[in-house]
Amino acid sequence: MVKNDEIFPSFWYNIIPDLPKPLPPPRDPPDAEFSRIDLLRTIMPKEVLRQQFTVERYIKIPEELRDRYLTIGRPTPLMRAKRLEEYLKTPAKIYFKFEGATPTGSHKINTALAQAYFSHEEGIEHVVTETGAGQWGTAVALAATMFNMKSTIFMVKVSYEQKPMRKAIMQLYGADVFPSPSDVTEIGKKILTENPNHPGSLGIAMSEAIRYALDHGYKYLVGSVLDVVILHQSVIGLEAMKQLELLGEEPDVLIGCVGGGSNFGGFAFPFIGHKKGKRFIAVGSEEVPKFSRGEYKYDYPDSAGLLPLIKMITLGKDYVPPPIYSGGLRYHGAAPTLSLLIKEGIIEWREYTEKEIYYAAKLFMQTQGIVPAPESSHAIKAVIDEAIRARNQNEKEVIVFNLSGHGLLDLTNYESMMKRWG
Amino acid sequence: MTLGYPDEENFIKFIKGAEMLGSDIMEIGIPPKYAKYDGPVIRKSYSIVSKRVKDYLALLKLARKELTIPIVILTYLEEFEKNLDEFLEELKSMEIDGVLFPDLLIDYIDNYEDYYKRIKSHGLKAVLFVTPTVPDSIISKVSHLSDIFLYYGVRPTTGVPIPIVPSALVRRVRDLVRNKLVVGFGLSTDDIREVILAGADGVAIGTAYIEKIEKEGVSSALELVRGLRGILDEFS
Ligand SMILES: Cc1ncc(COP(=O)(O)O)c(C=O)c1O
Repeated sequence: MVKNDEIFPSFWYNIIPDLPKPLPPPRDPPDAEFSRIDLLRTIMPKEVLRQQFTVERYIKIPEELRDRYLTIGRPTPLMRAKRLEEYLKTPAKIYFKFEGATPTGSHKINTALAQAYFSHEEGIEHVVTETGAGQWGTAVALAATMFNMKSTIFMVKVSYEQKPMRKAIMQLYGADVFPSPSDVTEIGKKILTENPNHPGSLGIAMSEAIRYALDHGYKYLVGSVLDVVILHQSVIGLEAMKQLELLGEEPDVLIGCVGGGSNFGGFAFPFIGHKKGKRFIAVGSEEVPKFSRGEYKYDYPDSAGLLPLIKMITLGKDYVPPPIYSGGLRYHGAAPTLSLLIKEGIIEWREYTEKEIYYAAKLFMQTQGIVPAPESSHAIKAVIDEAIRARNQNEKEVIVFNLSGHGLLDLTNYESMMKRWG
Repeated sequence: MTLGYPDEENFIKFIKGAEMLGSDIMEIGIPPKYAKYDGPVIRKSYSIVSKRVKDYLALLKLARKELTIPIVILTYLEEFEKNLDEFLEELKSMEIDGVLFPDLLIDYIDNYEDYYKRIKSHGLKAVLFVTPTVPDSIISKVSHLSDIFLYYGVRPTTGVPIPIVPSALVRRVRDLVRNKLVVGFGLSTDDIREVILAGADGVAIGTAYIEKIEKEGVSSALELVRGLRGILDEFS
């Protein structure tokens, strides 16, 4: 029996040195009244920023942090979806990496823990972030408490009202959770004076979180998109590579869903960089059509325009995504590394409608028992399509996907979908 | 140094002094409209000189007359793309040694070879610029093409003290680079020792001089040149 700490890696993997082309660096906008790159320096933990900009292929995971990763249950299981294979009558083998097995229910904890650890090492006592649907906020709340820090989470007001359970978990972990727009920052107060019933948005929540961190000398943690986040998420792919190796399997197709690109990148990049796997499929939402309609250009990663411009596939920072249930996929862009690999034709993409992913999710629940997060169900839909293609071509392929989170806190969403589509 | 900073007279005073105190190469920045990879300090110097300097080319001619060390012009390809040949010819006629476009391998990677050839066809040296986000395969491929040295800009922008580990960045590329490796972008005195120890052959300093000139004047900036030369000489 191989021990957990042999499967869990000692190093994170960064794909940038192995990309086919130079990754365009972040920029300050022309005629900027302040330097966004300089702002990063004030709001992010130093070591996190250092990792973002000190591009090395492998970065050692500090021992104490490694220990915390093991404490929360890493490595997560790599499981075979045997009943789904049987149902689809496919000769392909389907494996999935189950990130829903972490205490917070998604991959987000992988970078939250790392960023919290480095904040703590720097002597920081309080971290701040924003959250839309609540997955990221939950991860930060747990990570902060694991390193004896306080956390403040600005949660988009509609979610705060509609997802009381997410709020409750964060509070149980010890976080202060404010509905955004809130009355604890000038930005929030101003918006509330103009419209006391403002539903909030991720952009506003992010501005509030950054402002709050600046005002109090706290640090701000970033949930996706930035290279350093994908670096931390590489534990997913590195573990999966090892687990497949132990099973004696060579992967053919690797699949993951994309909001900002962190779970996909964390899962697929180690395979791409180590020349394992033949095809890579990034799956987005058809309702947020960044892959089919987005442009590859410099844009702000945040709708508030506080962070430096990065080059990515984007629908524009002012794009307002429709209210789909997969909150984590309601994002206008895709991480720069992922965007570049898509542009270079190394990664393929798919987009599916909410109705399509609902049926895929339901099939997965009924064959495998796991309730997937609606975000992850996008990957499942692509897996089903690929398994059917393999059946039609009679190919004995190995399909591996990242099940980025469980959906047990999304049951009201599934219930609404069930009412609409049966 | 930004062409014409802080004013024409002091600019000439600085570059002459720097040559005397041991600068080996003078990199002169021509202000572009959008200094994509420059930080607040250099941007500000650009905006100051765009108000003060009337004739850049005349000033550059004067600089050439005053210096014997090589002059490399730093500006963005984006700015001169349309009249590139004219611009390069002009530089050549002034006996400028070479050009460095920091955006060449980033924003023009698909046809960098064409631009490289065009620079060379005017008899100018082409100094290539790479960053930590340039993959190893490309660094290996281009390093020996660069004339005089390969410029490695280790921060995402000049003059913002983003925490990085310069020695780790140098170590990553040192073995890939078949050329002299010059490291720049926001280096502190400690960074300089660190990158040289990690295998760099030289350093490029800009923001630090501009800040000195802004706060304390040209003489202090020249003192800094002397000090940095001293650090480099510790290693020779
Ligand atoms: C379960 C789950 N999957 C996927 C995502 C999408 O984000 P990313 O593309 O950064 O992995 C989220 C984001 O909230 C999520 O919670």
